[in-house]
Amino acid sequence: MAEGPRILIVDDELVVIKSAERVLKAEGYSVEGAVGGREAILKLEKGGYDLVFTDLKMPEVDGLTLIKWLKKTNPAVGIVIITGYPSQDTIKDALELGIIDYVPKPFTPSVLLDVTERAVEWIKGRKSKEEQTVEEFPPAMAVELDRVIAKYRDTPGSLIPVLQRAQEIVGYLPPVVQKRVAKGLNLSEAEVHGVVSFYSFFTMKPRGDHNIRICLGTACYVKGIEGVLEKVKENLKIGIGETTENRNFSLEGVRCLGACGLAPVMMVDQETYGALTPAKAIDVINSYYAAAAGREPALAGASPEEEE
Amino acid sequence: MSRLSAGDLTRIKQEQKARQALKKDGYTTKVTVHMGTCGVAAGANAVMTALAEEIATSGRKDIFVTTSGCAGLCAREPLATIEVLDQPPVRYCDLNDQKMRDIFHGHIMAGIPVDKLALVRGSETTDLPSPEGQPPVTDSPSAAGTDEKPLIPTMQEIPFFRHQVLRVLRNKGVIDPESIDDYIARDGYQAAAKALTQMKPEDIVKVVKDSGLRGRGGAGFPTGMKWEFASKVPSDVKYMLCNGDEGDPGAFMDRSVMEADPHSVIEGMIIGAKAIGAHHGYIYVRAEYPLAVKRLQLAIDLATERGLLGKDILGTGFDFELSIYLGAGAFVCGEETALMRSLEGKRGMPRPRPPFPAHKGLWDKPSVLNNVETLAQIAPIILHGAPWYRTLGTEKSSGTKVFALTGAISNVGLVEIPMGIPLRRVIYDIGGGIKKKGRKFKAVQLGGPSGGCIPEAYLDTLVTYEDIVATGAIIGSGGMVVMDDTNCMVSTARFFLDFTTDESCGKCPPCRVGTKILLDILTGITEGKGTESDMETLEDLSRDIIATSLCGLGQTAPNPVLTTLRYFRHEYEDHIKHKWCKAGVCRNLTKFWIDEKLCKACGACLRACPAKAIVGEKKVPHKIIQELCVQCRTCYDTCKFNSIRILPAKFEGDPYELLGAEAAGVDATKGDA
Repeated sequence: MAEGPRILIVDDELVVIKSAERVLKAEGYSVEGAVGGREAILKLEKGGYDLVFTDLKMPEVDGLTLIKWLKKTNPAVGIVIITGYPSQDTIKDALELGIIDYVPKPFTPSVLLDVTERAVEWIKGRKSKEEQTVEEFPPAMAVELDRVIAKYRDTPGSLIPVLQRAQEIVGYLPPVVQKRVAKGLNLSEAEVHGVVSFYSFFTMKPRGDHNIRICLGTACYVKGIEGVLEKVKENLKIGIGETTENRNFSLEGVRCLGACGLAPVMMVDQETYGALTPAKAIDVINSYYAAAAGREPALAGASPEEEE
Repeated sequence: MSRLSAGDLTRIKQEQKARQALKKDGYTTKVTVHMGTCGVAAGANAVMTALAEEIATSGRKDIFVTTSGCAGLCAREPLATIEVLDQPPVRYCDLNDQKMRDIFHGHIMAGIPVDKLALVRGSETTDLPSPEGQPPVTDSPSAAGTDEKPLIPTMQEIPFFRHQVLRVLRNKGVIDPESIDDYIARDGYQAAAKALTQMKPEDIVKVVKDSGLRGRGGAGFPTGMKWEFASKVPSDVKYMLCNGDEGDPGAFMDRSVMEADPHSVIEGMIIGAKAIGAHHGYIYVRAEYPLAVKRLQLAIDLATERGLLGKDILGTGFDFELSIYLGAGAFVCGEETALMRSLEGKRGMPRPRPPFPAHKGLWDKPSVLNNVETLAQIAPIILHGAPWYRTLGTEKSSGTKVFALTGAISNVGLVEIPMGIPLRRVIYDIGGGIKKKGRKFKAVQLGGPSGGCIPEAYLDTLVTYEDIVATGAIIGSGGMVVMDDTNCMVSTARFFLDFTTDESCGKCPPCRVGTKILLDILTGITEGKGTESDMETLEDLSRDIIATSLCGLGQTAPNPVLTTLRYFRHEYEDHIKHKWCKAGVCRNLTKFWIDEKLCKACGACLRACPAKAIVGEKKVPHKIIQELCVQCRTCYDTCKFNSIRILPAKFEGDPYELLGAEAAGVDATKGDA
């Protein structure tokens, strides 16, 4: 979509195509038309379209058939319907097939532009989301997740253990995972989301390969954890609750790790590091970088940011 | 492994003792490496590896190596204890792999304890009567007179050990928490056997009631009464629950107990289950305690395998199934009704009581929730009786309490003291006083975010539930954080309110909104935006929050504010009226200044300053360029001569006049702010 989305207008009346083209081209969209469903399929088979506006009532190949075909062959293309009969039933049918929006016929230029703008935003967002979902949620994970859900399905009160396992499997709890858990345990999505958002252990953002947990407990506070935290934030260039761009580290502030004897303390994954100074914390982080690169842990204070 | 009956316990105990006893034709040396979370983090694994290598190289087969949980003195980890046949055990501290090798060659191979690396010799004090009728062990075997190494002090000679009496921590540093036989060898599960075979539920309730044991989780409710209520409610299904969701920042007693002696918690739960008639139980543990979870799970598995959990325990026909439930991080889940909601897989929000959990708890069934430390107290009480338990402590606060002693103190660690001794003894004798030279004690914070800060003038307060509450703090779960004069009390109050604001579950407005307003006012004061009316607003609002909140979280959240206002009002006044944070913590209210008369021109601060804001040369007193200073306090902490002084942020006058007047008690800042 380097030069903006390509849009195909499908209708059995040429005048509708022409008027829509005129409106959208004036706003800089790249627009083509297809008279009827058959011509649309021929054009769409060649690919390259991002958004399709289609009428529903057309002779031969009608709108619903076109939508079904498109969903099967090219689900990434966004669909908006144009209809002179915006009855609940037809729109409901189309919505179930996964359309983005609809334009009632006849339409004013501003309505068409509004809908187009929203649809373009929507496909942009969905594209990146789909890419993410594919990357973060491969089928193997789904199988594993379903196995966990099946194991706990009949145990009352098992939502929290299932979510803990789900977070171990997927790494975090995006909406797609929450929905799957809700469906599997026969709970409402709202209930699942309520629990996810209540407990600090659960995260809806992806975490890095290594999770750094900085203790913000009293003993650590008294012994100067704030200086350590500042240095770590500065070194990784992220704040609490964030993940580095390369997904190496994420940073969390936790309430007391219960290792007050070693204050100030942080944990990296399951390892506890105590009696920290800002410089020592950076050494620890560097040793993980080094381990990732297959080298021996870095020498003390070897961080490039570190000044003496 | 076969299922046990009550008689087998004694047999296993004797076998295990015989197996591990040091003797000429068996093991002659026992080495215990203390591997709790803190020990491991301090490097105990490297010590263990070095030891294993040395033993392998030496080819000796008569050295018995074992591990244990936390040994209590966290400040000196890694620790290891070496016991050679016919000699008192010697505990070594601050170890690393090289020191371990030195000790191996010196103490184990040559037979001469390494004085300079040793901390103490002998065994720690416990007052548990031995079932064989021998007097309780109060001192090390060295009392017998084989004392040839006076260089290593005995437990009695070191205040840290002398003032402690171990009941809950009876197996601390002695048993391998991953071995059930080790626990049985220390009279483990004898109390459960007694409760299941010889006692009726009402007998158990009576003993616990008579002992005066009160809940160690914070509220101090009598444990026996809790059990009595639940035992009297008729129901087919009841639950025995353990609260291991230790949430107070600065507290780690429960983690240590679960890591060092998991079976003691399980045994307490079996006895409680029998008392109330429960056949199912859960231990609710924080997910942040992976080692505790691992050891508890192993302990449950071993106990189930041996028939000490599950169906027909010890052949008595009593069933009790126990499982672990991992918490997901919410401070409010320490509150009992919230914890039960969380166990049901829901948002952990408290609900009004009554109905009390003894009637309607988990899944609306009668339930009892006890804290980890409370449960670890149960077995000795059942075994030795209520009168024995009452030999320590006071009438209303009997027995011992474990504290996590941390902060600006020398002997950071886990300590168990008889109730009723003065705070001063805990902090100065056991804790060894303030660690940093030249620094003064300012306050001790008890009870975490629900507690308060107690000043020097109240250090003679006795450690009992009633006396501590009278100061405005609470004993709480046992976190004891010591602060020195580099801590700002307004910032400390702000720290706790930041915590409670974040952890408020949001159900009731006094807590949800009230704590936020308290936090905003406190933040304003620390940033120099405080006004004269702030203190009154803080006090009024605090009282309203206490009076109208639903659960313990809201009812106690203002305590840190009220106690600091009560004991450190002058600090609030300094912040508000003079814009001066005398501890140098609040950046907007601080100006660092080098006292030329005290500066030795050593260059330490100059090198340490990250902003390069200090100028000076050898023999020329240093100076801070205020425009460059970022108030990071590094110089202040670095200077060994206390030559860096703290002035009000906007102070332009003569520092000597101000600080001199300050010393003389005159308020010289009037009109400056």
